[in-house]
Amino acid sequence: MEVALPEARGRAVRQSIPRQSVIAVAALVIAIGLAVVMSRTEAILVPLWFLGMGAGFALQRSRFCFASAFRDLFLFGESRVMKGVLVGIGVTTLGFAIIMYNKVPFPAFGALPDEAHILPVGLSTVIGGLLFGFGMVLAGGCVSGSLYRMAEGYIGSWVSMGGILIGLGLISQTWNGWWNIFVSYEPKIWLPATLNLGYGGGVALTLVALLAAFLFVLWWESRSGMAVARVVEPEVPDSTFAEKVRAVWRRIFVHGWSAIAGGAVLGFINVLMYMTHMPWGVTGELTRWSNALMSSAGFAPPTLLGLSDVGGCAARAAESGLFTHTFAVTVGLLVGAWVGALFAGEFKPRFPRNARRYVQSLGGGIVMGYGSGLAIGCTIGAFFSSIPSLSISGWLFAVALAGGAFVGTKALRLLS
Amino acid sequence: METKTSSNIRVDVRGEICPYPMMIAEATMKRTKGNEMIEVLTDHAPALSTIPTQARKLGFAYKIEPSGSAEWRILLWREPKSS
Repeated sequence: MEVALPEARGRAVRQSIPRQSVIAVAALVIAIGLAVVMSRTEAILVPLWFLGMGAGFALQRSRFCFASAFRDLFLFGESRVMKGVLVGIGVTTLGFAIIMYNKVPFPAFGALPDEAHILPVGLSTVIGGLLFGFGMVLAGGCVSGSLYRMAEGYIGSWVSMGGILIGLGLISQTWNGWWNIFVSYEPKIWLPATLNLGYGGGVALTLVALLAAFLFVLWWESRSGMAVARVVEPEVPDSTFAEKVRAVWRRIFVHGWSAIAGGAVLGFINVLMYMTHMPWGVTGELTRWSNALMSSAGFAPPTLLGLSDVGGCAARAAESGLFTHTFAVTVGLLVGAWVGALFAGEFKPRFPRNARRYVQSLGGGIVMGYGSGLAIGCTIGAFFSSIPSLSISGWLFAVALAGGAFVGTKALRLLS
Repeated sequence: METKTSSNIRVDVRGEICPYPMMIAEATMKRTKGNEMIEVLTDHAPALSTIPTQARKLGFAYKIEPSGSAEWRILLWREPKSS
């Protein structure tokens, strides 16, 4: 079934798009100004800021939602986003391997490459993943998804973010118990240092597993009778130079990207982030905010055990000052997604009319925030950046996410 | 938010969080047995690719038109059985 998409009709449509573009340009100018301000604190903040913006832009343009990647497998038998996620992880794996090889050329000696997201593997990974998977489906977006949807104007995502901050606060208050009972006994399993695999074996094993996962989701899709519909754009003249420029502009800034293109771009950005300093992650900065909020309210969390050497997003949560590396990446994501939504004319405040959705977003956010604290990262830090770090934790977290998302889809139907 | 006339079913899912626009559109298509025209109003851009995909699976034809700033109207109707 192919249907041409009619050109925008009516004055309201035609006028609103340029107005949003003007705001987008203004936002870009302010973002560049802020980069100049940040460069006075530390020069490295500038590339991190623009990479964060690039990530936010790519997330928005390809509607790259990790929650839907897992959820739609169960809800619709569809795997559009999951295929993009797998491609993105594959791209990141190749880049991370080169970076890690430069840091630790001989993995058998026992050193782990610094900053790589090689996280503890154990019950905390499983419980964290189950909670996170359930919460993200209930809230309609994971942590990064809620961030870019906040920038698109989804009020429900603002409520989710409030819940995520509460959940991260709850885990800070209870972390030491988890550490003493579970996390401190859990091993970090890094493939290159396991069974003499080395980098070649670790990368090969990861890529084969990704290929197997890709084939699995294709089979899963075929089983549900799914066939992806193509929306055909109308013929647009592109003979003159101006028309050609306009066509390229619309392809990047107005039309949604395919999830596979989005995944590849995000993978590439993630590699550049690690080259600059650290793999992509967002919960570290949010944990900082949550702890700062609790401290100012007189509920400062206790000194957290083990977080300095547990790695991942946790390591960064202790940084102080406003302009940190995680600030640049996380707030950059918001700005980049906002610019993307504005250029596409997709920015709009959206208030759910069903009161239940606010409760659902808040509750899902709290559960998800707690889970991300326990797993030391969200779908980005503990999954999208962890599997390419050749860490087993990323795979275990993914399986637990799928389990949580499956239960979440049951809850979604009950609440509809 | 569903209004029904003789041959038209109008579903307004504006403001809904993900994935309810898709879920509600899917449920409406499954309920519709005759040749009524389903009109889905949405401001959720991801629905523009997921609703047509569900439509195809359920044997519905579709048409998307912008209906305002960041708002779209998706028309869905059961395709005549081809021999």
